[in-house]
Order: sequence, then C-alpha cells, then structure tokens
Amino acid sequence: MTAADPGPLIRLFGLTGGRARPVGETFDLVAIVTTVSTYVQPVEHLPEHLTVLSLCRSPTPVADVAAHLRLPLNITRVILGDLRREGLVTIDRPRPAAQTIDERIYREVLHGLRSL
Amino acid sequence: MGYAASEQATAGAVSALAIKILVAGGFGVGKTTMVGTISEIRPLHTEELLSERGVGVDDVSGVESKITTTVALDFGRITIREGLWLYLFGTPGQDRFWFMWDELSVGALGAVVLADTRRLQECFPAVDYFEQRGIPFVVAVNCFDGARRHEPDKVRRALGLGGATPIVLCDVRERESVKDVLTTLVTYAVKGVPTE
Ligand SMILES: Nc1nc2c(ncn2[C@@H]2O[C@H](COP(=O)(O)OP(=O)(O)OP(=O)(O)O)[C@@H](O)[C@H]2O)c(=O)[nH]1
Ligand SMILES: [Mg+2]
Repeated sequence: MTAADPGPLIRLFGLTGGRARPVGETFDLVAIVTTVSTYVQPVEHLPEHLTVLSLCRSPTPVADVAAHLRLPLNITRVILGDLRREGLVTIDRPRPAAQTIDERIYREVLHGLRSL
Repeated sequence: MGYAASEQATAGAVSALAIKILVAGGFGVGKTTMVGTISEIRPLHTEELLSERGVGVDDVSGVESKITTTVALDFGRITIREGLWLYLFGTPGQDRFWFMWDELSVGALGAVVLADTRRLQECFPAVDYFEQRGIPFVVAVNCFDGARRHEPDKVRRALGLGGATPIVLCDVRERESVKDVLTTLVTYAVKGVPTE
C-alpha cells in the first residue's frame, strides 16, 4: 500500500459521505450558483458549506467554486447538490450556449477579447 | 448592506453568464500554454474512481477496487465584465481521460482543436469528437519554431474538414495570436454555424 497521507481523503469522505455524484438534476461545470438571498446562516453547517454560501452571494460558476474551495470538482458538486436540496442555493439550468448569446453579448465578448 | 448584497445576487442570477470553450488536441501540442497565455490559470482537478472509469488502463492489480485518480484540468477565466466570463478548459490529452470530455463538452459554445503540423494525425480524435457532437470548432495550427508552415488548405485536406470550419495559424505563446483564435471561434460558433 502507499504511504500517502490518508487525512485529505478522509476529510473528503466526510464532506460527501462517500458519494461520487451530486443529488438532483445534473448541472454543468459553468452553471451559475447563487446563494438564496433569504437564507439564515445555519450554524451547524460545515465550513466549506459556509464558504460556498458566502462566495455565491455573487453569482459564481461551479468551476470557480471548486477553484475557490481548492476541492476536487466532483466533491464540490456533491456539496452544491446538497446545498441546493436544502434550498440554500440555486443552480441555473443548462442551456445551449449558442442560444444564450444574443447580439449584444456577442459584441461584448468580441470587444472584451480584443481589448485584453 | 447585507440586504443590498443579496438583492444584487438575485438580480445577477438572471443575467450572469459563463461561456465555456474547450481547448483540445494531442499530447504536448500547447493546450496549457494557450490557456495560460490568455487567462489566469487556476488550479482545478477532479477525483475519479478508477474502478468506475479507468479499469485496465492503470495498474490496480492487487489493490482494493475503490481507488481514485486525480485528473488535473487546465482552467482559465477571462472576465469580460461583472457577470460575463469566458471559461477555457483544456481537455486532458491522455487517452485514459476521454471520459472527461463528455463532461466538459456539455453546453460548450465551441472548441479550439490545436494541431501540430509535424503530427497532424494526433488531432483526428478531437476533430471526430466535436464533429460527431455538432460542437463548433476551429483548428488552430500551432506553428512551433522550425515547423513547416502548412497552407491552411493542406491542413484542411489532411484533416478532411468541411469548407466552413475555420483554420487559423497561431503561436500559442502570443497573446494577440490566441485572441485571434478565440474571436474566430466565437464568431464561427455564434454566426457561422452551417445550416443543418
Ligand atoms: N517553440 C515552441 N514551443 C511551444 C509552443 N507551444 C508550446 N510549446 C512548448 O511545448 C511544450 C508543451 O506545451 P504544453 O502547453 O504543455 O502542451 P499541452 O498540450 O498542454 O501538453 P499536455 O497537457 O501534456 O498534453 C511546452 O514546453 C511549451 O513551452 C510554440 O508555439 N513554440
Ligand atoms: Mg497540458
């Protein structure tokens, strides 16, 4: 067996109960997560959950939440699925990208890219 | 203050938009370099169960079945403005991570397929993948120093690409060049999708 520190793995297990997939409707890597505005900070939540709730007051894509938490993407998704089930965050529905980009957004993106 | 912040968040949820773009291509073709040239790379990884996904590829003989492997992804963000971002995801080059592609490509606006003219065939799998799923892509030929500069038409023929697919010569280390690739892709994906 390897001598790798089991600590992080056990910690990850604790965050997800060992689940590999989030509950409920699937969501995309860049789906926008938003903290529900009326939530009352629940004291019994894990620090990671509180971090998400605080971060996502500003709508934040799933991948960014993972990068911010420094947790693996799949673990992050399990956490987000749980918070959604509790009604603490919303996660937007997947939409085909081309349909969400209207002329105005298209222009903004081109202009933004060119002025980088 | 808290109230105002929440209100803002609710309003933002309607309009916030993250546009996903994939960067694919063979091993060592310059995917990571490209993402790093145009955006700030952020650490992103995922844990996948080998027992579920990668059986027979990694050597797990004699070890209990529930072993995870870490897949690191190139992940970069370009902020256009508050609530509007482009996200670049480099798809893992190794074959054993193909399963990640399905996950990454859902809802993607489009893809950049990076090609090295010295081994063009290495981008066939990516070209096939995006063609089959109807995901718009551009082929960006990374002109490594000393590599012959292929005519785009030759590349088009070699890859068997239809006339609409843009082919761009680029240097992934140059920001202007990468901007060119991305604006070409965005325009092609939004405006130039060939009629079915
Ligand atoms: N000379 C030259 N070197 C380049 C160019 N693009 C990339 N490289 C180098 O090629 C090597 C591989 O580039 P990466 O960006 O790591 O390639 P990659 O596609 O991410 O590789 P994998 O993730 O291993 O598949 C690095 O050492 C780069 O510095 C280029 O246009 N010219
Ligand atoms: Mg790389």
